[in-house]
Amino acid sequence: MRVMRKEKRETMDVGRGTRDVREEGRENIQSSCHPSIFLFFSCLRTAVAVFIVLVVVALSSPAWAEGPVPPTPIKVLSDEIQLLQQQVAQLEEENQGLMNMLRDMDDGELYLVVDTESNRLTMRQGNTVLMTAIVGSGSRQFLKEERGRSWYFESPLGSFTVLGKERNPVWIRPDWSYVEENMPIPSANDPDRFVRDVLGKYAVLLGNGYKIHGTKWKNLLGTHFTHGCVSLGDEDLEVVHTSVKNGTRVYIY
Amino acid sequence: MLVLSLCLAGICGAEQRDVEQKKLVEQKKQLYARVETLKQEQDYLVFQKTMSDSDSKYLIINFAARNMQLKYKNRVLKDVPFKRVLGRVSRLSHGALTLTQKIEGPRERNLLIFGQALVLQGKYAPSTLLEEGIPRVFLSRKDFLSVYYAIESGAMAFILL
Repeated sequence: MRVMRKEKRETMDVGRGTRDVREEGRENIQSSCHPSIFLFFSCLRTAVAVFIVLVVVALSSPAWAEGPVPPTPIKVLSDEIQLLQQQVAQLEEENQGLMNMLRDMDDGELYLVVDTESNRLTMRQGNTVLMTAIVGSGSRQFLKEERGRSWYFESPLGSFTVLGKERNPVWIRPDWSYVEENMPIPSANDPDRFVRDVLGKYAVLLGNGYKIHGTKWKNLLGTHFTHGCVSLGDEDLEVVHTSVKNGTRVYIY
Repeated sequence: MLVLSLCLAGICGAEQRDVEQKKLVEQKKQLYARVETLKQEQDYLVFQKTMSDSDSKYLIINFAARNMQLKYKNRVLKDVPFKRVLGRVSRLSHGALTLTQKIEGPRERNLLIFGQALVLQGKYAPSTLLEEGIPRVFLSRKDFLSVYYAIESGAMAFILL
């Protein structure tokens, strides 16, 4: 075997001296080692070759060849997730705080809403509608007196508070009522000014002479016909009168 | 063999890392979405808190529920269902809008205009002021007039999608 190798070596160029030495070394190992060691080295050589092939195949695969963004390392991803989890926790806490604040602002009390455009009254508690009723609201008309005074009959808009409640209210006729009927205006304490059974059985006082009360002209409910007060039918008026108390909010828009 | 097994072990490890990485990417996506949802929720809560402290009436326009609420402070004044929606709602984004114009048209063809973002109306009323495709929400004539006269220019609205 050694003779054959030597003959082969003689045919090689001088420039390949290094290879000769390597091959000679291997020959020495092969000749001097146990066959199992030789087998081990053969396997090693095969394994290295397979590994190189695998690396080459992996590197030349289309996924790498197209050059996509290399995948984010797991550590970076984990850190980002941790930050996001902290952000979520913080936002949840802040939102809970805001929700509590809003909940605390809602006293849960019943309130009235009067829509003067559609002439509807709604009794609400939170998001729940307890009742709706057809009302009469300010006529939106002007009245001018010869002496120069004038009145505009409009329901007051804004936020009000129930200041009191009355049973069998008495209407104290204001000056415009006499002007409207071309009647002479009596003195302030004239008994003719105090009229019963005009405002229905109940009245809810909103201040500045404005009230929620009943009416004799029930066929006009749902229209703009009053002098500014809010008129209701008898049954609805009773429910409203019973439900509200001093301090109940009334929103007129 | 040892090297080969090492290589195979390496490949298996890489596969596991891939699986784990995919899981983390998915978790990150979900967390991003949750953060966005919470931010939107917070915008709405902050808006409500701000309006509760102010003295103006405002609108909550809920496209998912197809209704609108007229509110004052923390109180609901009126619930208004949508009658019809025209235009590209996809142009809208979640958040606050300002009423820029109230136009009183002939025969109750009034408009409530929120910039080039949204129009509220009862009856159809063409307007040269508006871009094509602008989302228009139609309300019943009565409801619309109630809302129209209840709010002033500069009033705020919050869009929920």
